[in-house]
Amino acid sequence: MFPDLAPLWLSLKVATAATVGVALVGAPAALLLARRRFPGKALAAGLLTLPLVLPPTVLGYVLLQAFGRRTWLGGWLERSLGVTLVFHWSGAVVAAAVTAFPLFLLPARGAFEAVDPRLEDAARLLGRGEASVFLAVTLPLAWRGLAAGLALAFARALGDFGATMMVAGNIPGLTQTAALAIYDAVQIGDSRRAALLSLGVSTISIAALAFVQRTAPGRGARS
Amino acid sequence: MTADEPPTILDARVVRRVHPGLTVDATIRLGAEIGVLFGPSGAGKSTLLRLIAGLARPGDGRVDLAGRTLFDAGRRIDVPLRERRIGMIFQDDLLFPHRDVAGNVGFGLKGAGRAERARRVGEVAALCGVSALLGRAVATLSGGERQRVGLARALAPRPRLLLCDEPVSALDLPGRRRLLDRLGDVRRAEGIPILYVTHSPAEAITLGTRLFLLEAGRIVAEGVPADVLAGAGGRSALLHLEGVRNAFGGTVAKHAPDGEWSRVALDGGPSLFVAALELPIGARVDVEVAGDEVMLAVGPIVGLSARNQIAGVVEAVAVHGREAEVVLRVGETRWLASTLASTPAALGLAPGRPATLIVKARSVRVESAAG
Repeated sequence: MFPDLAPLWLSLKVATAATVGVALVGAPAALLLARRRFPGKALAAGLLTLPLVLPPTVLGYVLLQAFGRRTWLGGWLERSLGVTLVFHWSGAVVAAAVTAFPLFLLPARGAFEAVDPRLEDAARLLGRGEASVFLAVTLPLAWRGLAAGLALAFARALGDFGATMMVAGNIPGLTQTAALAIYDAVQIGDSRRAALLSLGVSTISIAALAFVQRTAPGRGARS
Repeated sequence: MTADEPPTILDARVVRRVHPGLTVDATIRLGAEIGVLFGPSGAGKSTLLRLIAGLARPGDGRVDLAGRTLFDAGRRIDVPLRERRIGMIFQDDLLFPHRDVAGNVGFGLKGAGRAERARRVGEVAALCGVSALLGRAVATLSGGERQRVGLARALAPRPRLLLCDEPVSALDLPGRRRLLDRLGDVRRAEGIPILYVTHSPAEAITLGTRLFLLEAGRIVAEGVPADVLAGAGGRSALLHLEGVRNAFGGTVAKHAPDGEWSRVALDGGPSLFVAALELPIGARVDVEVAGDEVMLAVGPIVGLSARNQIAGVVEAVAVHGREAEVVLRVGETRWLASTLASTPAALGLAPGRPATLIVKARSVRVESAAG
């Protein structure tokens, strides 16, 4: 019988959505950290990197407290947008995004910091506004670092287990991602399924990391 | 200062405390001419340029350019960089590495139509001598080419002021010569003020029509370059000079039949005997003579081994410590001769008096200007 690959597809869907979210929030945050000085910057940078070192269960617990249906934020999301994160695949997206966030933020900040701010000043003197400076100078010069960061974040989001389990739960066909399905397969002794899903996740992750190696700044990159 | 002074286009006074030991407080007024901002390292030259450009914010002062107030501390005016219409070239050229030469030159013409953009890129490329480079990648250019591309890029959007922050200090002699020549063309073609930062007196004298001598953040003297450098205010700055060099453009004019020497005709100046060149007649060359290698005499000397004896007129004499710099004019060229402090007085060298320059053929450095 052909193995059920639904968890793998769900993982891909969740990781892709999480990566998009990470990029949308992380790129401005990285630019801010790289270019601006403001009070509490070190604290902000620390908080944004925290998911890298916290136990996933702690992250999951914090997210539950923030987005649960009885909380202010969770209630508002449900009433105004009709979105319930808990025990829903969108919860897995948020959990994966938060876990993966620092893996994008750190290289993205480094990539923006590596762009000589004097080049941006030169562009401003040539009549370009801020958006144009970003699109025509900063982004093209930083894209290698950004792309590498996105690939890392994607690989991390793909493999999230703890935070996803805490927020979205482990509901087959609904919120059961590959990582969770592997756990269940091992529990019930279905080692063929566990092996196949592991192989799938590993292959995609290796592809993502290979992309990072190819793209990361410093390897054949122009200054 | 003089009757034929061009009308003021840039009128700037900027004040800023840079660090506890240095406060820049300077006033610069400039018409459509080349002003040279000259002074020792650490005098605040680059900072002053950045304050005028708007790259750094003055604590006090006011910057007017072509009838528009760009900055006024009192009225809280601070026009954003993109609206200032100031072109700038830098010591390290700051070209955009991800764009080719045409992409760099046209960068400031975003609002223009396609045809107008191509026309203006072609125009400034020709003016700056980079027409043949337009399709090239920036990484393949030489230092001199990069600076000329930077100049073309700065000029393309028709700035009302061009600021140059030691643009030639990293270049070899031919590159330096060619960029300086272009700046003269730029002033004529674009009719805008150019403010040029340097710590080279040779550049200050040969390039500028007006010199601002900056010391410890303040303008301590201002006027015709040779006068200022020779005057009392110039002394302390000249103390900081390193090897003074004379640099000219020229053309190979003749080769000795036996191949012992060649002659080079300097642009607007005398012909020099130089060591034999392997360049064809008519080839463009860059010529350099160190100030230390130029000897002075009150008249022609008979029976001298040095080949070049050139009659000139003393423009200025600057004595500083144990040394002196004598500025001479020969045709349209200006020469700097470094001597001991007592020499000018001993020879009776004073502004307006004739003097003879003596240069050995072997002391003249010649490099091909081609390529």
